[in-house]
Amino acid sequence: MKKFTNLLVKEIKDLVNKQLIMSLVMMVAIFYFIGEMAKSEMKKAAATQKISVLDLDQSALSKGLAASLKTANFQVEWSQARDAEAAVQAAKQGETYVLLVIPQGFGESVDRLEPKEISTYTFLRSFSIGGIRKSEILKAVIAATNSYLSNDILKKKVPDVAPDVLKTPIKSKDYIIVKDKMAEGSASAISGFVYSQSFIIPIILFMIIMYSSQMVISAIAMEKQNKTLETLLTVPIPRTAVVTTKMLAAGIVGLLSAAIYMIGMKSYFGGITGDIRASAAMSGVIKQLGLTLSGKGYVLLGVSLFLAILCGLAMATILGVLAEDFRSAQTLILPIMLMILVPYLLSIFVDFQTLPLPAKLLIMAIPFSHPFMATPNIMLGHYSTVVYGILYEAVVFLVLVVIAARIFSTDRVLTMKLRWGKKKVVL
Amino acid sequence: MNPVLKVEGLKKSYGTKEAVKGIDFEVQAGEIFALIGPNGAGKTTTLRIVATLLTISDGKVTFLGHDLKKEPEKVRERISYLPEEAGAYRNMKGADYLRFMANFYAGNGENADEIVKRGMGIADLGTAINDKVGTYSKGMTRKLLLGRALMTRPTLAILDEPTSGLDVINSLEVREIIKRYAKEGISVLLSSHNMLEIEFLSDRVALIDEGRILDAGTSQGLKDKYQASNLEVVFRSAVR
Repeated sequence: MKKFTNLLVKEIKDLVNKQLIMSLVMMVAIFYFIGEMAKSEMKKAAATQKISVLDLDQSALSKGLAASLKTANFQVEWSQARDAEAAVQAAKQGETYVLLVIPQGFGESVDRLEPKEISTYTFLRSFSIGGIRKSEILKAVIAATNSYLSNDILKKKVPDVAPDVLKTPIKSKDYIIVKDKMAEGSASAISGFVYSQSFIIPIILFMIIMYSSQMVISAIAMEKQNKTLETLLTVPIPRTAVVTTKMLAAGIVGLLSAAIYMIGMKSYFGGITGDIRASAAMSGVIKQLGLTLSGKGYVLLGVSLFLAILCGLAMATILGVLAEDFRSAQTLILPIMLMILVPYLLSIFVDFQTLPLPAKLLIMAIPFSHPFMATPNIMLGHYSTVVYGILYEAVVFLVLVVIAARIFSTDRVLTMKLRWGKKKVVL
Repeated sequence: MNPVLKVEGLKKSYGTKEAVKGIDFEVQAGEIFALIGPNGAGKTTTLRIVATLLTISDGKVTFLGHDLKKEPEKVRERISYLPEEAGAYRNMKGADYLRFMANFYAGNGENADEIVKRGMGIADLGTAINDKVGTYSKGMTRKLLLGRALMTRPTLAILDEPTSGLDVINSLEVREIIKRYAKEGISVLLSSHNMLEIEFLSDRVALIDEGRILDAGTSQGLKDKYQASNLEVVFRSAVR
């Protein structure tokens, strides 16, 4: 055990160098900075919005319309220009994003039920997410305007009936069913919330496997490049310990690095998407539908994630042996990267269950697919699918470990090379 | 007297290529046994097999009665291998490198401090022992590695071109260190291109070419047999 610890400490020290610490600190700082900037932009976008109104009509209706915009959380700036052109020129100089021009005779035209067109001018001042959101103000302005005008017309024409009854005569009560559970609520709102809470899991998995695998491959390649591997293989320690310590050290450092990255990422995504928190009503619906991870769910997800990481490390160990030096090690990560990328992207854009059978089998054969599929399966109560996935991951891991151990216990660890020129593996 | 190392009918193939074609030799306790031959003769392959790095295709190698095929881990406890192009961990200080290696051998009657102290004495790098290995010259690294190889007092030290890349002064120092440790009872199996070095160091020599041992004996015995003035002429005559 003392020899094992001696080797493990050396492997960890090899990985935790100044470059790694610096890159982690820099990355977290950059993510945090961008996140905070985005958050402040979002706050500005969500705050009371300034709009300019040029009222050329000056009727009771046009004044009432402008007042209704104030109640819809808009800060109305009255333009004093003589015509639309002058109002546009004036608005250009200011900070307003939307200019509304109410034409002369607008009130009368509405009374005749032949409303004149209101001209709107949107000023695109930025293409950032915050800027795009601000440009969407127009939709809200039009909606508020239409709502006010239609209510006004209906009140005049059908004074005995509430305008809302005429505008939306059908009232629906929405129910969501998940397996044998049912709750009242909006399906799109619930789906959106569940996605927002679970989308981070594939990112974590992607980062940990990529980090750790890269570390293992590089560690073995560096031993070869620096000609230290031969000496290490002649010291009195089992070859399996040489393999295990490299995998374990990369796993520990990869896990820590990913955790540190996630702190930065959380701040970044928090800034862009805003802090999404479930309302009490939504929490109740989610609970009612069983769309939360139970203790059993967390354990299954954890085991699936852990086994995927182990599979990545074992694969990286085998690929690391093929590397001749540090440079060639950089390209050897490619197969692992592709194997993670495919299920990762599919988990974002596609429902695994709807894929054709050959594609489904191909995806299932990749051990990294199972943790990506685990969260929705656990939430939907498909526990057996998750368990089968875990068993498959365990089998793949054992096979990979046996292969890695056999390579390290023979001279293949020194003689195996991937020769790109000859496009074959020399054993 | 039982030999420390006994090699019988050793063969090693890489696919269809036979690198070692059935060689036999023995190394006695405290003896320096040298393999000399041109590039590709099978010297390094033989040394790497004895160091338990390469597997045996055919034949038998026993070290202190342990079969290399069956008990490689037992063998590793009592041997030390210095490869021709060996390196040390560049981010470690010289002293830390010695301690890291000593920790694998400590506990068998000797603690790591004693082993490291001996390693520092052999390497003789002065205050540079506390500098990072990455800052060392080739000669300094080689001396550090020799310190690592001999500090554990192995029963058999396997040294592949021990003075490779060293200048004249450093080479002389290294040879003297090897000679001194052999006198203390360490057996040495070495290979070298340098015939002068072989004559100075070795008790017995094996001439190896194309995977076969052509002849073996003491330097003087071989020179007498081939009526040659030095080992280079002996080797040329043996190849013919």
